[in-house]
Parts: sequence; C-alpha cells; structure tokens
Amino acid sequence: MREETTTIYLGPQHPGITGNMMIKLQVKGDTVMKAETHIGYLHRGFEKLMERRNWLQSFTIVCRICVPEPDPNEENYSRAVEEIEGREVPERAKYIRVMVLELARIASYLLWYGGQNGSAGLYTMGQWSVGDRNYILDLFEELTGGRVYHMYIWPGGVRRDLPEGFADKVLKTMDYLEKRLDEYDKLMFENSIFQKRAQGVGIIDPAKAIEWGVVGPPLRGCGIQSDVRKDDPYEVYDKLDFEVPKIEGQSDVWARALVRRFEIRESIKIIRQVIEKMPTGEVYNKVPNPMKWIVPKGDAYVKTESARGEFGYYMVSDGSDKPRRVHVKGPAYVHGISLLENLLVGENIADVSFIMNSLGTCPPEMER
Amino acid sequence: MDNINLEKEQQLADILSSDFTRLDAKVVRERRVEAVLKSNDIIPSVLLFAKDKLGYIHFSHMSCVDWLEEGEFEVIYILWNPEEKINLLIKVRTDRDNATLPNIDYIWRQANTYERELREMYGIEFPGLIAAKEFILEDWQGMPPMRRDFKTKEYVDDHFFHRPGREDAQDVRETIANRSGEEIPEFAKKFSRK
Repeated sequence: MREETTTIYLGPQHPGITGNMMIKLQVKGDTVMKAETHIGYLHRGFEKLMERRNWLQSFTIVCRICVPEPDPNEENYSRAVEEIEGREVPERAKYIRVMVLELARIASYLLWYGGQNGSAGLYTMGQWSVGDRNYILDLFEELTGGRVYHMYIWPGGVRRDLPEGFADKVLKTMDYLEKRLDEYDKLMFENSIFQKRAQGVGIIDPAKAIEWGVVGPPLRGCGIQSDVRKDDPYEVYDKLDFEVPKIEGQSDVWARALVRRFEIRESIKIIRQVIEKMPTGEVYNKVPNPMKWIVPKGDAYVKTESARGEFGYYMVSDGSDKPRRVHVKGPAYVHGISLLENLLVGENIADVSFIMNSLGTCPPEMER
Repeated sequence: MDNINLEKEQQLADILSSDFTRLDAKVVRERRVEAVLKSNDIIPSVLLFAKDKLGYIHFSHMSCVDWLEEGEFEVIYILWNPEEKINLLIKVRTDRDNATLPNIDYIWRQANTYERELREMYGIEFPGLIAAKEFILEDWQGMPPMRRDFKTKEYVDDHFFHRPGREDAQDVRETIANRSGEEIPEFAKKFSRK
C-alpha cells in the first residue's frame, strides 16, 4: 500500500454547514492527516458597511449575518446601542425579546437536527424537524412580517406589541413541539446508526476547551456548565427558571447532540414562563428621528447566548450619526477555524461534515 | 441599580493598576473591567498575568478601531474569567504608520486568526506570528480595506465594471425623480450619489 497523502478540497458547497466554506484536507487512505479552513467565499463586508450607514440603517443589515438564527444579532446590536446611550427598555419589551430569542433558538436547533442527521445519511429526521420549524417561522411571520429575517428587536425595545391571540398560538405550538420531541428521540437518539456515528467522534479535550475559546453547546458537551444567560444575564433571564445541562461522557458529537436535545425542552419551559410573567405596558422607548440620531461617544461589549454559543458585539461610537466600529464575534470563528482544524486530525473523512455540523460551523459570522 | 456590588470588579482594577505602572484600569459596569495600556511592549506580560495569575483563561476575541483623525489604531483584547464571571477589556493604541504590536498567539492559539485578520484588514504587523500566511484576502495589494481612508467607491470603479444596461439605475432617487418629474426632498439630497 502506498503511504502517500492525497489532497481533497471539501467545499465551498457541502452538507456540513449553512454557507460557503472550504476545507483543504490531507488524507492518507480515509484518515484525515491535516485540515486547513479556507474562508472568503461569503464575505459581504458587514462591519465595513456599518461604518458608512447611520445607526438605524446599520441595524437593518445585522440580522443578515446569521441566516438560521438572526435574532441574537439584532438583540446584541440593540443592547450595545442602548448601553452606550443609557437608554432604558420597557420591561414588557424585554420579555418579548426573550420569547423571540428562545423561539429562534428552537428554530435553529430544529434546523441543526436536519443538518446533523443529513450528514449521517438519515434524511427522514431532517424532513420532520425542518417541517416543524416552519410552525415557528409562521409565528415569526405573524409577529414581525418576516419568516427568516425579522428586524423586530431594535434599539429601544421591539418594533410592535404582540398581535391579539398570539400568546395562545405560541403556547399551542410549544405543546405540539413537546410531543414531537418524544418522536425525535425515537428516530434519532434511539437509532443505533446515529449512536454509532456520533459516539467517540470529534472529541474535544475538556481540560483545554475554555482556553481554546470553545463556547456554547460544544463547551457544555464537555461537561462544563457555561451559558451566557446564567453567567452574564441579560434582558430578563435572571428572573426565569431554567437549567444548563450537565453532560457526563466523552465530549464527542453525541454529547453535543444531548446538549441540544436538553436545551430545546428548556427553551419551551422559558417561553411558557415568559408568557405567564409578561407584564403589560409599552414595548418601545422611542429613538429620535433616524436621520438625525446621534449616539454619544463611548463603547460597549455585549454578548448573547445563541444556539451555537456566545455571540458578542463590540461597538464604538465617536458621537456621530454612524457607528465608528462594530465588531461581530460569532462562535463559529473559533469553532470553524482553529478548533475544527485540530479536531479533524485523525478522524475518518466520512465524519468531517458530521463533526462540522456538531460544532455549529457558520461561515457568515467568520467573514462578517 | 444602586444595589449592585462592584467589589470583585474594583478588586481586579486595583490589582492591575498596582502591578503594572503603565496601565490604567477602571470598572465600566457590573462584570466589565477595562484596562488601558500606555505602552505596547507590556501586552504579553499583562495578558499572561491575567491568564495565569488572575484566571482570565478564556480569550473571547480581539478587535481594532481606526482613529484616523488621531493617527492611531486602538486594539482591544477581550478576556473572560469563568470563575469570577468578569469580562476584561484590554485596550492599547499604536501609530497608524508602521503599526506593529507584539504577537500573542503562543498564549492563546485562537488569537492567531484574529491577528492574521487584523494584519490583512488594517495592516498591523505581529512579528513572530505562527503560520503567517494569507487568511481571507488572497493576492491583495494596496491599502488594507478596513482602514477608514480606504476609498471603497474608487476601488470598485478601478477593479470592476458596471453592468451595461443599468446606467439609469445608478441612483434610485434620481431615476425616480427623472421619471416622475418630482423634486428630491431637501433632506434626501445628501444621500444622493452625485
């Protein structure tokens, strides 16, 4: 047998991720010897664009940074502006924001169910979960007018109050989803094919995970209970009762799947509490005329727990009508480049997409 | 708001200020502390001290702000302490001309991609960078594009051509005004391309 390595270019289009990214793999037989991430296929220059647009115009483009879950971007942007300005947000708006963020988390996890199983060849699960995700998109459409991009959480609160009867619809959808999750368990977690593919693959060293910059479900899959919603609470998460999973095991793809399985149920729990506790009142603390809106000089660093991990915004204002700088830190920047390159070494080539999906790799937030 | 206890944050600011003479540290708010370095060469020692002695083991990210008018870049390192639950923002400034900062990718390996990105996008050099090859901008020559004096419109005009048949669609406001005969309102004129 020849001992040569072969170079394989995986991507830019492939089933491991949402978006375009290429991995240059050096393989010996079917074992990966070296992996190198190449990005640049999706650069839309959000950060540069924001320097040339006023505060409200910039807000309309941040949701486009992440297709599966745009709301953490809107929330981060809004909260950073509010922190620099010292603008108060009505209590009801904070509750609505949490509801939207948790709905977005569930929708994102349902899409992940599809991707994770699809990259293992189990397509039925994806059709079920993406079909169910549409019920959440229906809710978003009624609430915001958009199915994917919402532009709903904006500086000062949210764009409009809940439509009549909307809370009941949300609760009904949650009841439906909760029943479906039991069926998902049978199809995915009790499926021996998925178990054999996921267990012992893509193992992250728990002792090094925090230092390597791992966040979100991959970090919690290492048995570390780290969640921005608990560690650095924002909006009204400190008033809500929910748990962060404590996963015992191998910190592999299977552990990361268990984290997401647990968290969908916790999100449903949060949404029910939010609807129960939501006060009445205003939902928007009006900002000035957008054409003349000046944000005082200052900077802020805010972060949100998105479905893929910690999403951070570092924002600087020089006291003008445009942001001086908005730096977007998506979890995939570390997961998709330095972590993935190290994790793939020694793995089977058939597991590459599978591992990428378990990390929630998302190129738009690497290139911004 | 008045009941927030900032003892932990103040303690961190005091430790940093007393251990490093060329550093100003202050509490920004709950769970946010900021340290401004007055000298670039202490960056690795401050970061290593924060990591090894103070428990700031998680390197969240680093970013850069171009203060064109002041002739300086401001680079921000954002660290997180998972025990104390505090974000530490370390800020440093460097001249825009021949901008150079110490490399830190031996402290956190994920800093490597951030530094390579800042080198391409702003032109800041980090001597000693591991695998210091091109990151996003392949074969890029000329001014780094994230600098504020980079002329986006001129670059586009020089490197690309406008699709034929769309000449009249270059400015939506003007096209509509020409076709309808309506005047562009005064407040909107400053957004016109011409």
